[in-house]
Amino acid sequence: MAELTIDGRKVEVPPGTNLIEAARKLAIEIPYYCYHPALAPVGSCRMCQVEILDPGKPPRVTIACRTEATNGLNVSTTGKDCVAARAATLEFLLANHPLDCPICDKAGECDLQNFTYRHGHGAGRFSEPKRAKLKHEPIGDHILLDQERCILCTRCVRFMGEYAKSPSLVVAGRGDRNVIATFPGEPIHSNYEGNLADICPVGALTLKEFRFKSRVWDLDSTESVCTGCDRNCSILLETKRNRLLRVRPRVNLQVNGHFMCDVGRFGLLDALNPQGREEQGFVKGARVTAADAVAALAATLAAERGKWLIVLSARLTTEELLLAKTVLGPLARTLAYVPVEANGGDAILYTGRAAANAKALERLGVTALDEAAAAKLLAEPATSGLLSFDAALAARLMAGTKGKRLALIDVVAGRAADAPGAPHGAELFVPGTLFSEKDGTFLNLDGVLQRAQRAQRWPQGTIPETVVLREIAGAAKVDVTALVAKPDLTFALLESFGLPGATLAQLPDDGLKLAAAPATAGAAAGATA
Amino acid sequence: MENYLSNEFGRSGPLLLAEAQAKGRYVQAKRVFTSLTPEQVVDEVKNAGLRGRGGAWFPTGIKWSFMPKEPLKGPSYLVINADEGEPGTFKDRQIMEKDPHLLLEGIMIGSFAIRAETAFLYIRGEYLTAHDALATAIAELEAAGILGASAFGSGRPMRIVLHRGAGAYICGEETALLNSLEGRRGEPRPKPPFPAVWGAFGRPTSVNNVETLANVPAILERGAAWYKTAGTAQAPGHLLFGISGAVERPGCYELPLGTTARELVEKWAGGVKGGKKMRAFIPGGASTGFLPPDKLDVAMDPESLRKEGTMLGTGGIIVIPEEVAIVDAARVFSRFFRHETCGQCSPCREGSAWSDQVIARFQRGEGRNDDFALLEEIMRGSKQRTICVFPEAFAGPLGSAIKHFKGELVAASAERAAHPAGAGGATHHG
Repeated sequence: MAELTIDGRKVEVPPGTNLIEAARKLAIEIPYYCYHPALAPVGSCRMCQVEILDPGKPPRVTIACRTEATNGLNVSTTGKDCVAARAATLEFLLANHPLDCPICDKAGECDLQNFTYRHGHGAGRFSEPKRAKLKHEPIGDHILLDQERCILCTRCVRFMGEYAKSPSLVVAGRGDRNVIATFPGEPIHSNYEGNLADICPVGALTLKEFRFKSRVWDLDSTESVCTGCDRNCSILLETKRNRLLRVRPRVNLQVNGHFMCDVGRFGLLDALNPQGREEQGFVKGARVTAADAVAALAATLAAERGKWLIVLSARLTTEELLLAKTVLGPLARTLAYVPVEANGGDAILYTGRAAANAKALERLGVTALDEAAAAKLLAEPATSGLLSFDAALAARLMAGTKGKRLALIDVVAGRAADAPGAPHGAELFVPGTLFSEKDGTFLNLDGVLQRAQRAQRWPQGTIPETVVLREIAGAAKVDVTALVAKPDLTFALLESFGLPGATLAQLPDDGLKLAAAPATAGAAAGATA
Repeated sequence: MENYLSNEFGRSGPLLLAEAQAKGRYVQAKRVFTSLTPEQVVDEVKNAGLRGRGGAWFPTGIKWSFMPKEPLKGPSYLVINADEGEPGTFKDRQIMEKDPHLLLEGIMIGSFAIRAETAFLYIRGEYLTAHDALATAIAELEAAGILGASAFGSGRPMRIVLHRGAGAYICGEETALLNSLEGRRGEPRPKPPFPAVWGAFGRPTSVNNVETLANVPAILERGAAWYKTAGTAQAPGHLLFGISGAVERPGCYELPLGTTARELVEKWAGGVKGGKKMRAFIPGGASTGFLPPDKLDVAMDPESLRKEGTMLGTGGIIVIPEEVAIVDAARVFSRFFRHETCGQCSPCREGSAWSDQVIARFQRGEGRNDDFALLEEIMRGSKQRTICVFPEAFAGPLGSAIKHFKGELVAASAERAAHPAGAGGATHHG
């Protein structure tokens, strides 16, 4: 470890740590633009200037991002030369900046605004005509470029090359004619484009999907995880009046680092704002309240014990899966799940497996059946019907089967307000809820258990899955007292894994990395290993 | 000391290999390759006190001694900076166009000294004649077996790769040059690491100026002691002084370091053109800024010019006659530097443009009293605050114009405000 002094306070960091990160450890802010913890430092914005104090020498102004912490180094972030240098840099950056904060999506979370307040001059002296450059220029499917707001930190250029492995942005021109640009006729084509709006420290790169949707300070931000694949990237769900307006990655070094993919980001934006969502229950073709549908389903399962094929879904939270296994296991002919194959994953974050909680199903020891095996089981005379938590999968399984009954608990979108008949012709339909409407956890492919907090209210009339399962347990006289006696289901879940119990609220922000499952518990999980 | 750099400058075309060899060219390179060690070459150049002629005046032998002594897990490289772009500078061009084998022999000896088997000669894109002369000369050497698998039969391979730049002043900065050579955007690299550690293609590299290497054969031939008989104690040898602007005989003159600017301008260049008065002169290329005529007796060596608050730079003198207003001369340079900054560092990108806009206002007669404080702040906020020394370059003419000619700037602005259609005629827009 290297022990150094910053503003008179000592701090120990691993050798090689740069001064920005060393200062961060002391909660001392060194402002920066071109630096980003996930990218190689280039040292060009000149915002992170600090002073190195050597006995007997005048203070030496240098950049913190490319200065490594060494033993005995004495750093000042408040010396007059570095304070003046940072203020000068801000004045330079603001000289040609359009200052259109009132109509800029970034306002409120803009580092140019924030650092100007904290490190800049009160007034600018630039009185020349400002440069005119391109504005709101589409450079990909999701991103608009405003070259006038751009401060040319080149984070975006380096992100596309270093991280997204798709070097599609360049600095074109020279000097004050420099602009960020794509190659002519070659817009960004990447699964990581959305991150550009996050890493842009100013409002130069904005999301089409968020453009003029809200001032950022009006958003409610909730910590959650992405369910686009089983990576479970840590994210923020940002809503306004219950509507999800923006999804952003949250730093989690043991899961996703600083970023997330576009499949997740924009997929959630669609999935969590479902249009034409069915919010009522159905029993034998008739619209009923969700409560009546649940009662009918519970009665059916209680009466026909051991006759239904019940297929769980990786869309459910770990707690729901634990409860489902406990309640439905004794009632089902077979309780299973259908593993999802990877499709179109990449070597960065996206696995291509659209099964957010697949690892939890595996870890809970739920039987894995492929679609053919499930369909075969369903077709057997001893099976009277299929209860599925995944409507699309159920539709596929039912397609080749005749005379079987179908019960669904899922969120189904794309329905007309008064659509006749239940989705997919289900005899019993219970309108399910989205993960963002509940508290719970997801277990990612590397065994990190993370909390997804409730970000939206479920629509009136729908019933969360845990309530549905408790109703079924009550009707079918399945004893769940061992579970519900615990502080919460998360606690019970961890205990069931042989781990010290911890409630949902006690989980670390970046998740709990579970040790690999003991061989016995994972015995049924071979199908997806 | 007789001339050793400019003997062929009177020719109409390049000196070809056969004739060059008849005049003794490559005798030293052959001796070096077949009978000396790299240490002996480095020591001789170190003892001679040769300093880099690209403008920074760093001791060449010391630069070479930073290079790895034993080959590591890969090659070391010599890169020759022939991207001569400093306004007022045209010395390297003369060498390359007229006496390419002088440079090439220096390159071979320099490569040997740093244990490089490949030298990259990065030549300014606009220097077509020089490029062709060098291409011919390299082909001659390859045909003669001097360059190739075994230079001079020494068993040591040697090749020289000629690479044309694409027209950017900043690529004369050695690390921007390396980026450009590698096919990247020509932007200076943050240092450390220095090129001797991480240079061309990530390998240890020494970057040397053309004229610097052209000094080397003579040093090897006649020795360090001889070399130090010319020039000053701290900067020995001859320099190719380029003199341009309003003089009777503009040109490239080989003279000892320490020769006064007055001797150069008045004796060698024949004085200000038409017998007019001089308004100012620039001692060593655009970035060294303006000096008033009363400084003409300054000795042209790095130390004497530093005492005057400026630099020897490339030794390219530009003479500005009295009919040219300082504000117009300053604007020529502010436009140039604004155009040529790579723009990666915020203070340089914005400062060069902003100061050019302010000077443009003076040129239009719209200067303000508080502009001088503003310009000083722009220079203070950018000098020593960026990856390379480009802000020092644009601050050269700007700062010296304010330091020596503030009154003229104010007067010119006032005069043009009173007579908008009047003198200067420059209507460039910022």
